Amino acid sequence: MPDLIEQIRLATQALAEFGVHLFNPTIRLGVTGLSRAGKTVFITALVHGLVRGGRFPVFEALATGRIARAYLAPQPDDAVSRFDYESHINALVDKRSWPTSTRQISELRVVIDYQSLSEYQRTLTLDIVDYPGEWLLDLPLLTKSYEKWASESLRLSRQRQRADFAKDWHSYLSTLNPEGMEDEQQALTATRLFTEYLRACRDNNYAISLLPPGRFLMPGDLANTPALTFAPLELSGEGPPPAGSLWAMMRRRYESYKSVVVRPFFRDHFVRLDRQIVLVDALAAINAGPEALLDLEQALGQVLDCFQTGRKTILSALLRPRIDRLLLAAAKADQLHHTSHDRLETILKRVTEHAMARAEVAGAQVDVVALAAIRATREATVRRGRQELPCVLGVPIAGETMAGEIFDGETEVAIFPGDLPNDPDDLLRPKNRSRGSISSPQSPDFRFLRVRPPLLEFTEKGGPALPHIRLDRALQFLIGDRLV
Amino acid sequence: MSKVWKHRPPAAFRLDHGRVIVGKTRKTSPSSDHPVQPTQDAEFEALAITIDDSARSSRRGLSWGVLFWLALGGLLLLAMGFAITGLITGLFARNQELGWIGLALAILAALSLVVIGVRETIGLMRLATVENLRERAAETILGNDRVEARALVRELLHLTRRMPRLARARATLEGHLAEIIDGGDMVRLAERELMTPLDQQARKLISAAAMRVSVVTALSPRAVVDLLFVFGTALSLVRRLGFLYGVRPGTLSLARLIRHVVMHLAMTGGLATSDSLIQQMLGHGVVAKLSARLGEGVLNGLLTARFGLAAIDIIRPLPFAALPRPTLGDLMSEVLGSFGGGEERRAPPESNLAAADVQLCGLKSLADSKSVKFTS
Repeated sequence: MPDLIEQIRLATQALAEFGVHLFNPTIRLGVTGLSRAGKTVFITALVHGLVRGGRFPVFEALATGRIARAYLAPQPDDAVSRFDYESHINALVDKRSWPTSTRQISELRVVIDYQSLSEYQRTLTLDIVDYPGEWLLDLPLLTKSYEKWASESLRLSRQRQRADFAKDWHSYLSTLNPEGMEDEQQALTATRLFTEYLRACRDNNYAISLLPPGRFLMPGDLANTPALTFAPLELSGEGPPPAGSLWAMMRRRYESYKSVVVRPFFRDHFVRLDRQIVLVDALAAINAGPEALLDLEQALGQVLDCFQTGRKTILSALLRPRIDRLLLAAAKADQLHHTSHDRLETILKRVTEHAMARAEVAGAQVDVVALAAIRATREATVRRGRQELPCVLGVPIAGETMAGEIFDGETEVAIFPGDLPNDPDDLLRPKNRSRGSISSPQSPDFRFLRVRPPLLEFTEKGGPALPHIRLDRALQFLIGDRLV
Repeated sequence: MSKVWKHRPPAAFRLDHGRVIVGKTRKTSPSSDHPVQPTQDAEFEALAITIDDSARSSRRGLSWGVLFWLALGGLLLLAMGFAITGLITGLFARNQELGWIGLALAILAALSLVVIGVRETIGLMRLATVENLRERAAETILGNDRVEARALVRELLHLTRRMPRLARARATLEGHLAEIIDGGDMVRLAERELMTPLDQQARKLISAAAMRVSVVTALSPRAVVDLLFVFGTALSLVRRLGFLYGVRPGTLSLARLIRHVVMHLAMTGGLATSDSLIQQMLGHGVVAKLSARLGEGVLNGLLTARFGLAAIDIIRPLPFAALPRPTLGDLMSEVLGSFGGGEERRAPPESNLAAADVQLCGLKSLADSKSVKFTS
């Protein structure tokens, strides 16, 4: 029954928007990705390129001069904060530092005045929605019961790498009796330990992706509310919990987390998207080894399952908006020499193949691209002995290490990150390989260094044009067809 | 197959690192004592580009026909040589000075024959290059091959180096060569940059030719005259299109070009029927009711335009991927729009119906002007 009401609500909302869009063509572009995938940088570079006129040869409308101008306009949703484009661009250009991670959902509206191919003056409104990657991981919870979620979380936390971080929480968990009386203090402590475990997973070098519920790590204004005070319990059986027990309390709070946090997010933002780009930091996962990569595969699979993809029809536009173009982007491709980009794309395809197949069957267009929204490196060749290594030149962020060397964030070095395999399965299933662990700290196969934003070149207009890799191709795919 | 992939351990090099030897000592670079060298302008794919002649003529064997013509040609050449030698010796026998003049003339003729031969050969090769380019471009778009696309664009830049109006486009494109752009995108980019001005010019050429043919056919007193005129216009149209797109055909390559165009027309004629031939015939029928000559004129104009479009398909070094292929309706609306006054010219090219309307409008006004002319 609540489902039906929800559906009706979504349909009404879609109908109202359809009417508005009839007179004022609008694209809602969702920029998503797990945290640290580079969403904020992507949006900043995209808006900068549109507004200031970047070097986008492949983005046809801009390259041929059909876009008369693009400018920022007040956003439509009053309850959502504005994407702080100006301070992000300042941080990038002046301080040469990457923007801090997104803490809340934000939105930006860009209005594009262009001339269509049939010579009419038109306007396209582009709404860009940015939100923390962690929140995405909540979407799969909508269809999960508390019991299922608890058992899955526990199973995950007992896996090899995670078990170390979860030690405290596990030992506290064994003292709890789910069927005992409900106790606020117990719930608080369990939540605190559980959150610490999640945070440890996120902050370590292993780049673990699958960490629901996301709001525990980015609570926003809901911190310390009961809706965010619950944790998985060691449950013996299924079935309804005894009234007044700890189990029942946790279960109730889990449900209210879904209805207070997850569902509004899903309804107000996620479901209204027309175009979607999913940024994936595959390199960080490859850096961390096969487990992180498998983790990423699972997380992406769950996230991509939430998208409503499919061909756009009049009926779907009226009742249920769909994403008709989905772009999977391996971000930070500038940490690799361009000759390896195809392999990076293959790896991303392999990691997301199920989701891609599903979207394609539904009629949506799916593309995979290795991109760097802001290119922070140049390319070089280094000869080592008889080998010629394709390298990238860049200034590693202070504190990055490679082979025992710690970089100070000022010197430029040539980085050879290692050869990616032709077959992505070599990365996912290291057991097949004759050598030992894929990324043992002593002799890692890969090391992708994070580098600082580039010193910027100036165009004849005076403003710095941000260098990029295939950002124009991404734009062409995402909005190019609406600008003809 | 999860074999161990060829892999090298990661490493970082300081730019002043001593142990590393200079990368890519391609040219004598000023900073060749520097261990690490940034790659400039996509040098990494500086491939030696040679035109692949094997693709040009797929069947190499000597057929009887070829043998016959070769033998006959040899015979004729022998006969000519014999005659000329006879003539010169005869001249010498009669008068020393006359002999020298004859010899000089003969040498001059031989020399110019060689030059012409070389030029024709180059022209033929250029035509083959263009056809080869187009095929490769289509493949590159499908295969999205980055290295191949770059080689292709370099060849295109070479091909178009003598076109002054493309100077800016060439400079832009050369700038893009250094960037990381995928194969398909690169080819489309090249098409957009280089072909847009040429396509516009080609469109103008074709519609002008079609218009001339229409008018001359409608006004000419004898069928022979307009037959010759249509033929001449078609020939010069193909030639000019060839020069426009950089093929620069000589006599032989022009002949070959026209053969290809005719073949192309024959092959795609069936395809084109569905979209516009009916409409043309209809238009022709209506006009023919008004005046038989006028109808013939319009039909000839349409055929010329169609011929020109087929020629573009053959001559253009890139396939139509990023830019729309000009259509007959498109061209004719331009032609007839200019007949019937300027206001219809702005019709959106993609709507065939609108084009047909314009066509009829234009024809009507043409008919009006004609009838006035004839009655006076």
